[in-house]
Parts: sequence; structure tokens; C-alpha cells
Amino acid sequence: MKKAPKHEPDEPLTVSPPKKWAAGVPAVTHALEYSLDQTSLRTTATTLLTMNQVGGIDCPGCAWADPAPGHRHMNEYCENGAKHINDEATGRRVTREFFRAHPVSWLNEQSDLWLNQQGRLTEPMIKRADSDYYEPISWADALDLLADELKSLDSPDEACFYTSGRASNESAFVLQLFARAFGTNNLPDCSNLCHETSGFGLHETLGTGKGTVSLDDIHQSDLIFLVGQNPATNHPRQLSALEECKDNGGKIISVNTLPEAGLMRFKNPQQVRGVIGDGVQISDQFLHIRSGGDLALFQGLNKLLLEAEDANPGTVLDHDFIARYTSGFEEFAQHARSISWDDILTATQLTREEIEEAHDHVMHAGRVIVCWAMGVTQQRQGVPTVREIVNFLMLRGNLGRVGCGASPVRGHSNVQGDRTMGVWEQMPDEFLDALKSEFRFEPPRHHGYDAVKAVKAMAEGKVKVFLSLAGNFVRAAPDTEVTDAAMRRCKITAQISTKLSKAHTVTGETALILPCLGRTEIDIQSGGVQFVTVENTSSEVHTSFGKLRPASRLLLSEVAILCRLANRTLGDKVDIPWLEFEADYGNIRDRVAQIIPGFYDFNRRVARPGGIKLPNPVNEGVYATATGKAMFTVNDWDMSAAPPGHLILQSTRSHDQWNTIPYTNNDRYRGIHGRRNIIMINPEDMVDLGLVRGQFVDIIGVWHDDVDRRVEGFEVIPYPTSRGCAAAYYPEVQPLVPLDSVAAISNQPTSKGIVVRLEPGTPPPGTKPTEWHD
Amino acid sequence: MSSIEVSVEVRVPVRTAYDQWTQFKSFPRIMNAVQRVDQIGPAMTRWRVKTGLLTKEFMAEIVEQEPDSHIAWRSVERPPWLWGQVSFRAAAPDRTVITVNMHIEPHGLSGRLPDSAKRARKLVRESLENFKEFIEGLGDASGAWRGSIHNGRVSPAEPNPPRSRVPKWPVG
Repeated sequence: MKKAPKHEPDEPLTVSPPKKWAAGVPAVTHALEYSLDQTSLRTTATTLLTMNQVGGIDCPGCAWADPAPGHRHMNEYCENGAKHINDEATGRRVTREFFRAHPVSWLNEQSDLWLNQQGRLTEPMIKRADSDYYEPISWADALDLLADELKSLDSPDEACFYTSGRASNESAFVLQLFARAFGTNNLPDCSNLCHETSGFGLHETLGTGKGTVSLDDIHQSDLIFLVGQNPATNHPRQLSALEECKDNGGKIISVNTLPEAGLMRFKNPQQVRGVIGDGVQISDQFLHIRSGGDLALFQGLNKLLLEAEDANPGTVLDHDFIARYTSGFEEFAQHARSISWDDILTATQLTREEIEEAHDHVMHAGRVIVCWAMGVTQQRQGVPTVREIVNFLMLRGNLGRVGCGASPVRGHSNVQGDRTMGVWEQMPDEFLDALKSEFRFEPPRHHGYDAVKAVKAMAEGKVKVFLSLAGNFVRAAPDTEVTDAAMRRCKITAQISTKLSKAHTVTGETALILPCLGRTEIDIQSGGVQFVTVENTSSEVHTSFGKLRPASRLLLSEVAILCRLANRTLGDKVDIPWLEFEADYGNIRDRVAQIIPGFYDFNRRVARPGGIKLPNPVNEGVYATATGKAMFTVNDWDMSAAPPGHLILQSTRSHDQWNTIPYTNNDRYRGIHGRRNIIMINPEDMVDLGLVRGQFVDIIGVWHDDVDRRVEGFEVIPYPTSRGCAAAYYPEVQPLVPLDSVAAISNQPTSKGIVVRLEPGTPPPGTKPTEWHD
Repeated sequence: MSSIEVSVEVRVPVRTAYDQWTQFKSFPRIMNAVQRVDQIGPAMTRWRVKTGLLTKEFMAEIVEQEPDSHIAWRSVERPPWLWGQVSFRAAAPDRTVITVNMHIEPHGLSGRLPDSAKRARKLVRESLENFKEFIEGLGDASGAWRGSIHNGRVSPAEPNPPRSRVPKWPVG
């Protein structure tokens, strides 16, 4: 294990051509190298060999589904999962001496990378209103202080309770129960920032907010679309599933503004051909689409399907499915036929031939799946795009059958489960009624704040207490300057965290660090050793057992912190056995079983190998929509584009990064190493804009409020992005995303569609010359 | 390709025989060669079958299913190496004729062994005899799924079947 860095990394930027394939032996070596930098060989072996196994630790990384018990590899993880789990299992510690040596204002100047590399938080800390330092505080005093602040509010709606996808089902359930018993639905969550758009689009059209496909469906599909998604970095185990699909004769079409390495070729390090061979070609067709052009693409495909049906009636569309299970077909078809090819080709920047080639693949496929991620959801037209994907699937009956369906690929381990547990600011009455019946209190009915509304409320001084269950809200939220200022207006902010981040440096007047157990760690309560449960992107709910000795004796579990806080805040006002919940999480699951549909007999069923597979109503022939049928929709779009001299910027993660936290400054697959203040621009756009490689620019966000949103000192890198589209790293360019720039209906920030212009800039002081390896 | 057709008459009503047949997870109790069946969804099952020293796992999709009438299935590969249908016909109020039609393309190692078609036919016949003994001995089905499947897609038996009672709110 290496010691925590004392200084920021000081490496030159090196740029080499993007890689043409992903994973392989380098993935294994990089994963082991990072793991052994963070912790011992023994701990690395424990985490990796129990990861994603029955009775083991669920990877706290992405939400990709595990193979069925008995079908898992001994090494059932990916490079990024291995890094993520050992980033949590690190042997490095952040102690009271560390905080004594570093003022909060100084810490705030450090990078996300440096803060994370300092290691695990070890004891509760407080930053008092008149101080620039964190100092130790006992758990009892910290929780009393927070409870007193909550009790002193004029209204429960002056508090906000944020959840990240790391939180287990048990802690998420307790959090929402506490918030509602306290009297508010202010439950913003990271879902608001990632797949909210998918939830709204699917719920309206199919009557379920969840994806309809299982891992087996992926394996058995004839054709899979990967839209706005980078599996090799964000859910690498998906590549193994895609490989199996290809082995079974399936084809893949990827749709992206960036030709990501993992979309091209995959070398599975668990296969001989992945170690010494060429691996597997992933994409049979790559559609290099313009940012935000996905809606037009699917409308083009739908138009072609309708035309093919007109030419050969009864041979293209699934009339039986359309007639029996759907509504709104005629209006949809009329609209789809009316869209002009000129508009489609302009919006997508694809050729008619490319779309027709994709159409040919569709026509030869009996089973089609569409997977998508942030490239679709973080767009202003995200919800109509998801609805149009549903239209596309329904035309040929690609729903409710083996090997077919809609798959919003969720990116954080339990983001889906947290929502299932009721962490949502708009929960329906039947859920609130069930809470009332079970716990005998009246939950608030008015909707609370989502992430964007929470920032606005904090900025306006309407929220005074902000409690975060995991996560790094200030970096994940848009409009960083606005979000930071909003957070600083709070009277108290409290973070239930494992590691140091900007969440602890951008604070309210008073700030609490409430350090908690990680998922890797053994959780012992008075009722004995506990496990938690999580839900993956295929709606499988299963256990996670910690295996490691906790990073500190003073860590409490997420559940324990929340239960103790709830008990102090609410006392006898409600009859909720918080301390019984803390003692044995089985008591929480018993209550979940009473409240949340599908969780009957939760404790017994989840303990079985593989856990519980929550059925998807679509696969049961049930469409719980407004019409009782799956709904075709008419989706209009506008042709708004960046004005001349401007670009559409998307934020993107590097390969060596988990959500807001980079592990290194390297982005191996894109050939970018050493620094992150770069902007990737198509070489032809560089010519048009008079830019040269290595030039430093300031990036200015353009929005109708004319606020000067600017990030400075970004180096221009020629990169094969789509024409007119640029990319830079998240969260560094989050300051450019206006708080009001959200997807219609879902209110999700549009981090993949930011109009920007560039101005000449200067390199940050001390920047070393860039090394170009052509 | 080998085609197999085997019939057996069981002394239970057609509904009892059919309902028992829908309980795929219980097939290892009936079929000697079947070690395990997982029902992944109403229309998707995973089978582990052992014949001699060979163990084979495969996924089977139910493409048609009509209560008290028939169930048709096929392995999920393209093209399938196995497909078939079991039909139920009431010979009398308390007697049912069950007929299994199955088609197998020689597939994998087991398909290359001599007499594979003969062994498959023997296996099906034995399984049907076992089913007869089982359901006649019990008299009642151990469960039932009364939905139907057409073209691989489920039509529920009731508007809000138990398996559709899950959280349906938007998931972000």
C-alpha cells in the first residue's frame, strides 16, 4: 500500500491515439495496481474473491446484474469494480490530526482526486460556524446537534434529505421513513441526475419505471442498440454479456458521439481469446450521431419500419401486439410518416444510408433490445427520446418476450433500489397510505424538492438543514457556482460518508462529517452480524455481506446513524422502533415487506442464493398506464442547435473515475493521461474555429439568462467526436450546466447538451508542456 | 433431426394435469434426467439435464400456452435445437390424455453419441410415466399458473395478477 499523496499530482499531459479495444490484460494489471496501491494483498484478495458472489460483497460500483448462482466466475468483477471496491477498502485514514493540519478553505482548493486519495474518514467531525477547521465531536453530541437543528426549524420542509446510489435498501427505507415522519418529502436523490428521464418516459408509456430485460435477455437477443452509453467504463461487466450475445449470433449497433474503445472491441480477460487473441468485435454498426440526435434517429427508424410495412403489408409490424396491447398507434404513425428526412438527417448528422443499414439489421432481428444511459437522459429532449425508443420497440413487438425490451442501464449500485424503497419526492398515495397504515402517522402529501429544486430552495434560504446519505452532491449537481453558494446558505450540512470529498469542503454554516461503514465492512449490531440488500438494474434484489474489519471502531452503519438521529429528532412523536431497526436490519425488511409491493416474505426470500427477482409487469402482460395499454406517443422536437461558432459540450467521465471521483488523471482508452483540464474537439471543428491542438481556452456556457458560466484553462485536444460536439470531463465542466437547463418533464439537468463557446485562455500556473504521441 | 411423439393417459381431470405441468420447478421430482429448472419468467425457463455422464444446461422459451390445452416451447438458440409441445385432452371428466411431441436436432456432444434419438424417446416416455404416477398418486396439482402465452408473450389470467404487484413508480 502506498501512502496518501501530500501534493497534487504534477504530471504533464500526454496524448496518444484513442484505443481500439477495451479490457484485456491491461484491465487486470491496472485493477491490481490500483488495489495494491490502496490496500494489502490480503484485503485485495478478500474483496475481489468475494465480490458479486453469493454471500459476498455486492460491488458498490455499478448496478449491472450478476449471472445466476452457479454461473458466476471466480473473478466476477471488472477493472472499475475492483478499483472501486478497493478504493473503499483502502488502508489510508483521515484522522483528527489531518483535519487539524488542513483548514477547510484549503481543502476546498484541492482536487477531487487528492481529497479522495487521503483515505477513509474515521470519526465524527464538526466544523463550527466560526471556524475554518473540522474538529472531533462525539457521536452523541453530533447527532444531538443535528436533531436540535431539525427540531428548531419553522417547517419540516426546511430540511432536505439527499440519497446517493451507494445507500442500501435498508438505509434508504429508514431515511425516507424518517423524512416523512419528520414531515417532509424533500428527498432529492442521485436518480434525479442520472435516469429520472428514463423513469418518466417508461412509466408513462409502459406503466413501469424499470427496465424490462434480464441478463438472459441480453444473451439471447438478436440485436442490441447501445445508445448514449459507454459500457467499457461505466458498467464494464456489460461487455461480457454483449460478448455472449455475439457468441450466440446477436448483433450490436452502438450510437454515440464518441467512438469509445469498448464499443469497438472487447478482450475478455477471462477468455483465452481475450488474453492472447483479438477478442470480440462489439459493434456491427457504429452510428456517430450528433449529440441529442437520438430522438430523430429512432423516428427515422420508425418511419422506415412504417414504410416497409406499407410496401409489404403484414410482414413488418407486429399487428397482433399493436392491436391487443397498445394504444395510440394511428396518431403516432401519422406523425412519424410526416417527419421529413431532411430534418432527421440534420438532427442526427447521419446519412440516410447509415439509418437504412440500421433498419436492415432491425428487419432481420426477431428480438431487439435498446440499452441507453446518460447520453439519452441528460438531454433536454430525453423523455421524448425514451418514449420514441418505446415506440420503436413496440412496432415489431419487441416487448414482453424473451430477448427483447427496454434497458435503461443504471450506473450506481443501488440507485434503483433506493427509489424502490420510496426515496422520491413525489411518491404516490398508495405508498404513503401504506406507510400511514403500518406506522400510524400521517405522511406529508405535498411533493418535495428534487435535486434541482433543492438547490434553488437552498439558494433562496428555504432549506436550512441538508443531510446527505452518501454522495457528493455539490459536485454531482449542475451549475457548480450556484450549487456551492446554495449549500453555503444552509445553517447546517451533514454528510454520512466513507471518504473525503468536496461534500465536506463546501458546507453550510456548521458542518458535520458522520463517517459510516462501507459496504465492504463487517456490520455488527446488537442483534448480531448484519447484511444489507440492494437491487440491480435488472430488478434483482439480493444481499451484500461485509467482509473486512471496519476502518475505525468509531464508524457507525448508515442505518445506525439514521436510526439514532431519527430517535433523537422524533422521540415519542411517532411509534417507530428505530432502535429495533438498528439492532437488526431484519426488522426493517419485515416492515418493507408490509409496505412495498412485491417484497412479501422479504427476509426469507432475499436470503436465498441470487435473492429475489422482482417481476416486471410488462413481462407479465400488464401495462399499468393511463389507458391500461402500452402507449404509442407522438414526440415533437425542435431543431435547436449550437449557433455558428459554438459547440455542444457533453460532460463525460474518464475511464479511471467513479462518478464524481477520479482515481487517477488518466483516461486510458481515450489516450489521455496526466491531466483533466482538456476539451476534446473534432479536428474539422478545430479548423473552423481557428483552434490548434494544445491551445488553451476558456469554455463559456451559453444560456438565455446571460450569466457568465465559465471554466478556465482547458487544453484543446483533437478527438473524433461528432461534428459540432465537444466533450470534457465531469465534474470539471458542471459549472457550465445552467440549473434551469433541464429535461422537459423529468427536470433532469442536461449535462450532455450544453451550448458553449470558447475564448482564448492561458494554462494554469505550473502546467508542464504536453507530450503528443501521434 | 429426431421427432418423438409419446402419449399417456392419466386418471385426473384435465385441469389437474395441466396445472401440475405448469409447475416447472417441480420437474426434477418427476423427470429422472432433470436436475434443476429455474423459471426466470412466465415464458423463460432454464433447465439442467443430466444423461449418463453428460450434464447439459439450456434455456427454453415458452412460445404458446393455453390453459387446459397445450404448452409449446423451444430452446432459445437460433435456430432452436429443441422444440416441442405438450397437449392435454380430456378423455373423460376424470381422465386426460397427455401427448408430448418433441423435435431434437443433434446438438453438442450428446447429439453425436450413437442412439441419441432412441435415448431421448426413452427419456420422454419414462418422464410421462413418472408424471402419471406422480399426479395420480397426489390427486391434486401442487400449484397452477393460469395465464396464457401467445407468440412468446404473456396474457394474464386476471387484470392485476400477483406477479405484477411490484413498485411501478418512475425509477430514476
